Amino acid sequence: MIPLESLTSCFQGLLPSWLYTCSRSGVPNVAILSHVDYVDPSHVALSFQFFNKSKRNIAENPKAKVRLYDPDTMRAYALRLRFVRTETDGPTFESMQLRVEAIASYSGLKGIFKLLGADIYEVLSVEAIDYEPGMPVASPTVQSRAQAEPRLPFTLKALREISDRIHQAPTLDSLLDAILETLENIFGFKHSMLVLASERPDRLEMIASRGYPEGGVGSEVRVGEGIIGMVAEARKPIRIAGILRQMLYAAAVAKRAQERGLTSTDRSIPLPGLANPESQLGVPLIVRDELIGVLCIETDKSYRFHEDDRAYVEVLGGYLAIAIQNALLKERTEEAEEHSPVKPQPAPVPVQPRPQSKLKLEYYKSDECILVDGEYLVRSLPAKILWKLLHEHQAGGAVEFTNRRLRLDKTLNLPDFKDNLESRLILLRRRLEERCPEIQIAQSGRGRFRLELGSAVELVEQP
Amino acid sequence: MWQVAGRPFISDELAAFLESGLSINIGTRDNELEPDGVIAWAVRVHDDREQLTIYLHKAAADAMVRNLRVHPQIAVLFERPTSHRGCQVKGSFVSTRAAKAAERAEVEKQIDGFCADLEGIGIPRALASGYQIWPCAAIQMRATELFEQTPGPGAGEPLQ
Repeated sequence: MIPLESLTSCFQGLLPSWLYTCSRSGVPNVAILSHVDYVDPSHVALSFQFFNKSKRNIAENPKAKVRLYDPDTMRAYALRLRFVRTETDGPTFESMQLRVEAIASYSGLKGIFKLLGADIYEVLSVEAIDYEPGMPVASPTVQSRAQAEPRLPFTLKALREISDRIHQAPTLDSLLDAILETLENIFGFKHSMLVLASERPDRLEMIASRGYPEGGVGSEVRVGEGIIGMVAEARKPIRIAGILRQMLYAAAVAKRAQERGLTSTDRSIPLPGLANPESQLGVPLIVRDELIGVLCIETDKSYRFHEDDRAYVEVLGGYLAIAIQNALLKERTEEAEEHSPVKPQPAPVPVQPRPQSKLKLEYYKSDECILVDGEYLVRSLPAKILWKLLHEHQAGGAVEFTNRRLRLDKTLNLPDFKDNLESRLILLRRRLEERCPEIQIAQSGRGRFRLELGSAVELVEQP
Repeated sequence: MWQVAGRPFISDELAAFLESGLSINIGTRDNELEPDGVIAWAVRVHDDREQLTIYLHKAAADAMVRNLRVHPQIAVLFERPTSHRGCQVKGSFVSTRAAKAAERAEVEKQIDGFCADLEGIGIPRALASGYQIWPCAAIQMRATELFEQTPGPGAGEPLQ
C-alpha cells in the first residue's frame, strides 16, 4: 500500500475530492468533499458539514471510497475506507473547524457554513489510479510550479538570524517593522501583517504590515471574523490553502442559503491585505495566556504554507509575542527614568500641504472617532490622544509631550495596568503618516514625543 | 419513475448544462456493497431525454462494468468546478461499447470546456493535460432520478 504520509500534498484542500458511498439497499451515491485531512498513518478525516445522502449511507453501510488528486502533478489516488467515528472535538476537529469557519466568516456564512463533525475513517488501501497518472514530476509544468514558490527552510541559522534582528531593535516601533522585514528577508514571506489586541475586547487593530500598496495601519478586525479574527478567538493557528476554491464552494452554499432566506444578501467583510489571497497562515501571539495579537502571512500562490510552516511559525509566534511584550514593558520602565537620553528621531518626511490652507478635524464624541476634512482618520484611544494633543497645542502652543503625562491624564481613561499606550501611539503616528501627513508625531526621546503641524487646523467637536 | 407529466425527464436547459464540459464522476458498487467510483470525460443526453451515454477511459470502464452487469444501479455526479452547480443523475446501466472515432471531437470539446473551468480555480491547463482520454468507452444508462447537488441547504433534494 502507498503510505498515506506520502500523500501530504493531496490533503491541502487545493482540489476537491470525491466520496463514493452506497446505501444498504445498494444505491450508490457520489459527493464532493471540501476537506480530506490526514490523521495518522492509517486514518483520514472527512469534513461533515451537512446531513446529506452520503452521511445517511455511511450510517447504514460504513464502506466508502475517496478519490483525490495531488495538486502538484494531478496524479489521482483512490482510498478504500471504513467509517470509524465522528469527532466533534479534539485537535483534528478543531483544525478542520477553524479553516471552515474562517472561510464562512469571509462569506457571511457564520453559523450556516460550519463543520458539524470530523468523520474519521480507517484507510484499508491506497492505490494510484493507472489511467490518471497526471504529469511527470520532472515535466516542465510541474517544475515551473515548484520553482515559482521555492520552499524556504526553517533552519536554526534562520531562527538565530531573526532572533538577532529582534534583539537589535531599539524600540517597539522598530521591532514591529523588523519582525515583518525579517520574515520576508529570511523566510520569503512577502505579505504579512501584525494586528494587536486593542482596548476594545472584541477588536484587534493592524499596527504594522509589509508588502501591500496601502499600509492599512489602524484597520480593525473583529474577533471571530476572517482568519485573523478566528485565530484571535480560538487562540490557535490556522492555515488555509486553496482559498479561491473554498470561497467558491462557500459562495455556492451562500447562494443556496440566500435563496432559502437563511442569510442576508451581503454580510461579507472585505479581506484585509491581498485582494485575492490563495494561502493564509495566521498564528496567535500569546504570552502566559494573554493574547498580544495575531501574525498573519499570506500569498496569492496556492499551496504556499505547509503543515510544517504552521508548526514553525507558531513557535516563532510565541517568541515574537514575548519580544513585543518585553519591548512594551521596557519602554514603560525607561519612560519613568529621569534624564533619559534623547534619541533623535529620523527627520520626518517633508509635509505636502493639502490644497486648502486649513485642515478641519472633527471629533465625534459618541463614536470616539476623528474625521479629517470629512474622511475617517482614527478612532478610540488613539483618537482621544490626538484630540488632547491638538487641544493643548491650540490652547497654549504645547509641542512636547511625555507618555507619563498622558498616562496620568484621567480624561483618557487608561487602565491602571497594561494600558498599551506605547502601541496606541505607534498606531496613531503611523496612521497620521498614511492619512494625514500634515500632522506628525515624532519621538523625541524615551517616553517623549513632539507634535509637528504642517498646516493650520480647525477643531470641531461633534456629539 | 419520478417525472412531471408532459415534460421531458431531463429538460433542455439541464441537458445543455450536463453537456457543457463538467467534472463527471460515476459511482457503482459491488456484491459486498463496497462502493466504487471513477472519473468520466463527457456525456451525451439522448433525444428521449431519459438516456445518457457517458464517455470514460476504457480501463476505468472495464472495472466498473463488472459491477454494473450484476448490480445495474449507477449514480453520476455532474459539477462545474467554479460555480459548484451540481446535479446527480441516478438510474440503471443499459449497455457498454467502445467509443467511436466520430465521437472523439465531442468528447474533446467537453474536456476542453472542463479544463477552461479548472483554470478558474487555479489549475493551469498544462497541468490538466495529463488526463488520459483514449481508448475511451461509452456507457449507456437510463436516468430515473435527478437530484440537486449544489452544496448547501437543499443539496440532495430531488430536482424539480
